[in-house]
Amino acid sequence: MKALDWLDERTGYRELVRVALDEPVPGGARWAYVLGSALTLSFVTQAVTGILLMTAYQPSATTAWSSVMYISTQMSWGWLVRGLHHYGAQAMVILLAMHLGQTAIYGAYKKPREMNWLLGLGLMGLTLGFALTGYLLPWDQKGYWATKVATNIAGTIPAVGPFTQRMLVGGSEYGHLTLTRFYTLHVGVLPAALVLLLAAHVALFRKHGVTPSEQADVKHVERFYPRQLGKDLFVGLVILVAIFVLTLRSHGAHLDAPADPASDYPARPEWYFVSLFEALKHVPGRLEWLVAAGLPVVAGGYLVALPFLDKKPSRALRGRLLLLAPLVAMLLGAVVLTVMSFQSDARDESFLKARQLAETRAARALELARAGVPPAGPLAMMASDPETRGPELFDRHCAACHRLGKEHGPADGKDSAPDLAGFGSEAWVLAVIDDPDAPRLFGKTPFKGMMPSFTRAPKDPAEAEYFTKMKDADQKAVAAFLTAQARGESGAGSPGEKIVKRACTTCHRLDGKTDDEESLAPELRGWASPAWIRAQIENPGSGKTYPKGALDKKLEGHMPAFGEQLSAQEMDLLTRWLAAKVGKVPW
Amino acid sequence: MAASDPPPQEEPNESPVRDEGADDAPPPRAHASGAAPRDNGRRKALGALVVVGSSAYGAALAVPALGYLRVPAGGAGGERWIRVARFEALPEATPTRAPVIGDERDAFTVSRGQMLGSVWLTRRGGAVTALSAECPHLGCAVDVGGDGKSFGCPCHTSRFSLEGKPESGPSPRAMDALGARVVEGWVEVDFRRYRQGVADKVTIG
Repeated sequence: MKALDWLDERTGYRELVRVALDEPVPGGARWAYVLGSALTLSFVTQAVTGILLMTAYQPSATTAWSSVMYISTQMSWGWLVRGLHHYGAQAMVILLAMHLGQTAIYGAYKKPREMNWLLGLGLMGLTLGFALTGYLLPWDQKGYWATKVATNIAGTIPAVGPFTQRMLVGGSEYGHLTLTRFYTLHVGVLPAALVLLLAAHVALFRKHGVTPSEQADVKHVERFYPRQLGKDLFVGLVILVAIFVLTLRSHGAHLDAPADPASDYPARPEWYFVSLFEALKHVPGRLEWLVAAGLPVVAGGYLVALPFLDKKPSRALRGRLLLLAPLVAMLLGAVVLTVMSFQSDARDESFLKARQLAETRAARALELARAGVPPAGPLAMMASDPETRGPELFDRHCAACHRLGKEHGPADGKDSAPDLAGFGSEAWVLAVIDDPDAPRLFGKTPFKGMMPSFTRAPKDPAEAEYFTKMKDADQKAVAAFLTAQARGESGAGSPGEKIVKRACTTCHRLDGKTDDEESLAPELRGWASPAWIRAQIENPGSGKTYPKGALDKKLEGHMPAFGEQLSAQEMDLLTRWLAAKVGKVPW
Repeated sequence: MAASDPPPQEEPNESPVRDEGADDAPPPRAHASGAAPRDNGRRKALGALVVVGSSAYGAALAVPALGYLRVPAGGAGGERWIRVARFEALPEATPTRAPVIGDERDAFTVSRGQMLGSVWLTRRGGAVTALSAECPHLGCAVDVGGDGKSFGCPCHTSRFSLEGKPESGPSPRAMDALGARVVEGWVEVDFRRYRQGVADKVTIG
């Protein structure tokens, strides 16, 4: 005790502790008084988890997503810390709304506590600022697009808008500087401001004391310690347990695919801003700022004015219903708009489809990132992934004519090129031998009628006389030879090769040799192999697949050469994806 | 130690300066008699100096801070023609999306061959028109609706005709038309971005 006496003599800490703990609580400890302390404790959770996150997070467009991915998936307990921070933020928003609502209902903003009400509103603004800035930091799709929309709204405010937007974004494009600025706000400016305002808020609260509950017997005064402090801590603990449970159940916070400025993404804000988002859909764009910035300003103005409008000393709810009506209306409006928004999204098929695509990309990004993200960033990683780029390129360049499974292809009946399902497989080869002019094969292409069926007699009786059906065994042998080609095997000397040389090279090429140089039939050596597919994409008239004549203008609707439209890397990615994909979708 | 220390309760009296700050506090006793008016003038002048001095101190920090943080509005920006598609690959009268690929400068890094965005190209006979795929409302990417008869934005449900005219939803203006031309069989687009959410088409960046 000697050492503590020494300390007390020089600091007077015992008096400080006494003042802190002996705060009089008129009417005694109540559960109703816990919300302010619960909020403060939640902020402590946010500060601790936030500082932990800072030890691993790197704010830049090329590293932010990767570092958050690393925290969430690789670091020991990283998912837990990030999850607590994520759900803790939601808890703060909910507690804030409750604290504000209770203060309003109790009339605790009345004289002499007007200033403390205003400080509380300031703290609310800061908390929402934390939410808005924090949402961007993972630099994933949802954070990027929500922030783009939010800052664009800021940019529409007359006079100050464009300047504010540039200042926040750090330029006209979203990138490194946007992140460093939001990060600075989130971990530097906002915390400092919040601590200052919170200190003033608590000091003023201490000065004026708690606003006693209606039922409280004010003559009975209790001290803050131990009963009220106990209640506060208990509630704080319950909230902490709740955010632990939420974190454990979802194994931490979700991370969307890396921010991609050139992608399609159905941007949605965090749930507590959804009501504003929904409101935006229903106003013409030029009045946007009125809703997005004006509505909060009007709502804020009303809250600021409340203690000055409601000057009667009575705190009875009955006399104040009219003044509190806007608050109730705001709350109800927010609930209705939020429900409307979630309902309309749940019914919107294109939204659900886009969401599905976003989830697929997010899962793929995390899968790729397990092997490490290149220094060029996660977008570069995604851009060199056949699984990601392949279907995109196919949909953009191939799917207007070719079909491949249920997901890729033109509208029903609009096919104008062979179905690629099972391309290179036995079934595909047998189908061509049987009926090359079937609508699913070459029936809708300019090549229709160039290859005869080897199993059906021609309609012309004169030709039919000379027709002999190809034997099943021979068909199988040809198919075996051609599927070997697709796999990249030579099949030299196989029975299939012999039949091909006898029956097919009258028109087709094999190693460039054919009986009919005028024929447009394609090369069969290496047919459907990755190299063949690659050559076909680059230039279908190079001779490596089809001869030059296949690009003749008279053959309207022939496959174009993509060598000029696609980069070498894109053709490689498309080929790799396509060669693997055709084997997975049976004919 | 304790014995040599002066009694603590005397300390406040030793620093009369403390009281001087408070306006309503009576002047400290030591200065109460005598030349009060002259002293008051002096105090006021000193007070004004303090205000000016601290304001100057604040401004000396705030001005560089603002100068450092502000981002000057970029000029209208020069033309930037980028090849986006082969003209002959475009179907007649059907909007086709083409990626815009170029070098992207982000503060201190530059990425070669980045996807900068995309444009919607429509061929009509020998001519081609280009519309920016960025929604003029708040910047989400606009796509062709399932029926192929209009453009739609996935964020706030703005809809546009295939010519880019607003049909419904909150968009304040039509989709932004970009300069487009055909050079040596290639479609080239003057790729630029416009301020969003306003009725006028204002170039940014």
